[in-house]
Amino acid sequence: MSYAHPEYLVDTEWVAQHLNDPNVRIIESDEDPLLYAIGHIPNAAQVDWFTTLQHPLRRDFVTKEQFEELASKLGITNDTTVVFYGDKSNWFACYALWLFQYYGHQNAKIMDGGRIKWEQENRPLVKDVPAFTATSYKAKEADQSIRAFRNDVFKQLEAKKPMVDVRSPKEYSGELLHMPNYPQEGATRGGHIPGAVNIPWAMAVNEADSTFKSADELKKLYEGKDIKPEGEIIAYCRIGERSSLTWFVLKYLLGYPTVKNYDGSWTEWGNLVDAPIEK
Amino acid sequence: MTLPKNLQEIVDDIASMSREEKLETLIAYAETMPDLPDRFQEERSKMEPVPECMTPVFIIAEKEADGGIAFHLDIPKQSPTVRGLASILTNGLNGCSLEEIISVPADFYMPMNLQEAVSQQRINGFIGVLAHMKQAAVKAGAG
Repeated sequence: MSYAHPEYLVDTEWVAQHLNDPNVRIIESDEDPLLYAIGHIPNAAQVDWFTTLQHPLRRDFVTKEQFEELASKLGITNDTTVVFYGDKSNWFACYALWLFQYYGHQNAKIMDGGRIKWEQENRPLVKDVPAFTATSYKAKEADQSIRAFRNDVFKQLEAKKPMVDVRSPKEYSGELLHMPNYPQEGATRGGHIPGAVNIPWAMAVNEADSTFKSADELKKLYEGKDIKPEGEIIAYCRIGERSSLTWFVLKYLLGYPTVKNYDGSWTEWGNLVDAPIEK
Repeated sequence: MTLPKNLQEIVDDIASMSREEKLETLIAYAETMPDLPDRFQEERSKMEPVPECMTPVFIIAEKEADGGIAFHLDIPKQSPTVRGLASILTNGLNGCSLEEIISVPADFYMPMNLQEAVSQQRINGFIGVLAHMKQAAVKAGAG
């Protein structure tokens, strides 16, 4: 079998061929945002989950107006093909794609393998920051069908619908909060949402070059854990970045119709008073 | 609070910078971090892998002839923010006495206002690196 929606994925060679295509905007989105300054794909722009995608005050994403401003500044029109890539197997590239789609930019793709593969192939990285002619981008109303809030999670729990916890096994079991010298990003309780199955995000990518595993391997992985196309699925991790990778895999590589990313994730659930937890 | 002289200078310097200058400075610190000397490679290979989401930070301290402590770190080049932050600490603390190092308060970084440039998660990691360095210094100081 092949990916359900292969049009959401491009390879490094495709990107290399479209570096100066005016209808394509290549965007780097990293876990470590300084990587862009050290060297990025020629003509690529940068977004940073922390400083450009998050609301400066509330724990939320930028507003629709702020998103329009950001997209306009990056010279993106409503017809631009936006291609994301990043470090750490594309966690934050998927996160950025998810947010672009949240505001209605459907024409967004991931560069398979991300930064790692581009570097492995000794493709050029530059320090020049490109300038783009500003556009007047018009975003759509936020698409709540791809985002879960805590109340959706409570309803999901009640209805016993499937949830995927994509963190590492020790985070799932609750052990990791107690690692010495590594203060965790604030959750006061460890464990997972009752009923959530643990399928670490990394199982969806090939370790060697960070590309996604084949459709057959992915199908076996998720269906083997009862995460099936007909289920309405919620994925979560700690802050919603690793789960946006799993969201991308389920939604576009496997073609599941209903998948939501719970970006509040463990840093919300593990701090909520009266929320059930399983260890 | 009294910080070791070099560290205080770095703190004051960064405190006066704009957000962009802070980022540029972090990159410069990241890029100038020396590679781990070969004599520590064996020790490095014994380090336990850290869980995902965290950058592996290898820290070893040595007591020098004059009694000062020297730190040697190994942090992947793919994690420039962590390298940059850790490099602030080694630049500020190398050569200090054990007493000076262990009395650096965990909130010494506050005046630098780094949170305008990096996420809280990084700052937590930064405090973690300082705690690690203190432990390594105690170990080296006792040896």
